[in-house]
Amino acid sequence: MLSERLQREALSKCIVWFYDGNVRTFYSLDKTHQRAKANKSLGMRRLEKMLMETFKGQWETAIIYENKVNGNELARFKRGARV
Amino acid sequence: MKKTTNHKLHFDYGRVFQNTKSFIDLHNSRQTKLTQKLNANHRATAELIVRLYLKQLNKAAQLDQLDTKSLPGFNTYNESLAKCKGCTKRTIINHRERLVNARFIIKENHCGQGGVEIWLNPEVLGMAKLSTSCGDNVMKIGEVASLFYEKAKNFHPLVHEQQEQENNNSNVGKSVTTEKDHDQEYGVLPHRRDHKSGKATGTGHEQDKNTEENANPASNRQEKAPEKPCKAEKQEQKLGAGRIFLLTLIRQFWAYARKVLYPDLVLSDPEEKEILNLIWESVYGKLQWQATEKECLNYQETAYSRINMVARWLARSPGHWIPKPHIYFHPNNERNGFKKTWLWYVKQETLKLEIRNQLLLQQVKTEWQQHEQDKGRFREKTRLQLFRIQQKRLAKYRDESLNQAYQQCLHRCLHLQDLKRKHHA
Repeated sequence: MLSERLQREALSKCIVWFYDGNVRTFYSLDKTHQRAKANKSLGMRRLEKMLMETFKGQWETAIIYENKVNGNELARFKRGARV
Repeated sequence: MKKTTNHKLHFDYGRVFQNTKSFIDLHNSRQTKLTQKLNANHRATAELIVRLYLKQLNKAAQLDQLDTKSLPGFNTYNESLAKCKGCTKRTIINHRERLVNARFIIKENHCGQGGVEIWLNPEVLGMAKLSTSCGDNVMKIGEVASLFYEKAKNFHPLVHEQQEQENNNSNVGKSVTTEKDHDQEYGVLPHRRDHKSGKATGTGHEQDKNTEENANPASNRQEKAPEKPCKAEKQEQKLGAGRIFLLTLIRQFWAYARKVLYPDLVLSDPEEKEILNLIWESVYGKLQWQATEKECLNYQETAYSRINMVARWLARSPGHWIPKPHIYFHPNNERNGFKKTWLWYVKQETLKLEIRNQLLLQQVKTEWQQHEQDKGRFREKTRLQLFRIQQKRLAKYRDESLNQAYQQCLHRCLHLQDLKRKHHA
């Protein structure tokens, strides 16, 4: 679980609907090191890696949004594949 | 260069030394790493070897008939070479190794107590098949590209230039976190963005803190603000309206690469922007070259053909693969990046030129042969007329190395004719 500050500063977030009925939100880590410039696509790649490797076969749908109010949808995954 | 006087082989020192020099220069110009180049010391060793070898060869030629196709090697001892040069044995061994890597020495035979036998590259001795590969092919192929595909190590300037270090990580002089999204939207246009939004140039410190900077913010800004726009303006002037054109080239390149290499890839906006930025840096050298529109379009064509080469390479075997675009187009990716295809391309084009030149020379040769036998198209022309016709034809290609090879070819053809005549007489 990320600290509140990191959650607030994250550039994107991923909402995952698991097969067991759980719904969880993950926030991206966009920096290569603490003082680095945030890289949005790096964060997205990390979220994708989490979905494809860490939670492989456990989720049905996952959507990556911009981490702000009414943020746009950035990527959508269904049953292990990006759509 | 060999000269046959009284049917005996003779090597002219001057010509061979010139060949040595041009061989080493060419080798150095092709290498990027300092550890692969031949420095002055290696050059000295090479020249020593050449000098002693020629002495040996000329002596041998006086005693015996030498076959030009299989010349004897250079018999020597590391220790004697070291003594001649005034260095240690190990240095000679190291130098020889470097010369072998440079293909200056093509074969070595270690005979234990009997020393070493060395065979030099026939190109150096002027015995090789007429090669037209001298000259810098990279320059011939892509003038624009050769500007940023650095051929040598980037040395520090001799005079230290005072300049402000650009710190990517600091907020000073950059937009603050809230504007990051806005930053990335512009993708490939970093200075343009700075130029337009004055905010980015200001200092990003907090107003409520009573720091020294805050004490007189207005004057401070006036001083600091003009720095970045100036830089941006210069860039803008340099590239002018062509900048938009160049950026569309990058977009077209990516669209094509995506279609050909990554047909199934789904990407979101930020990811695509990142890839475009990477291409801007790695494939287009940050657009730092000042080239005409035509040159740019030529370069674009080379870039497309490089993509086609990659596609063909991928199709050739299921074991071939390329990494994801953000890795493939990364400027620091030396291992399996797109950068490497430049070498493929240069190799391909060099080969094409070489083949074309060889064909032309072959044609020239047959024309001379036919002319001598009073056959062919030019049987009614004199030798001078034939020479002029050929020269005119070859001059169209504007290739210095082709000209040189033509001269050598001519020399050989005429020389052969003379020999035959003498033989008959």
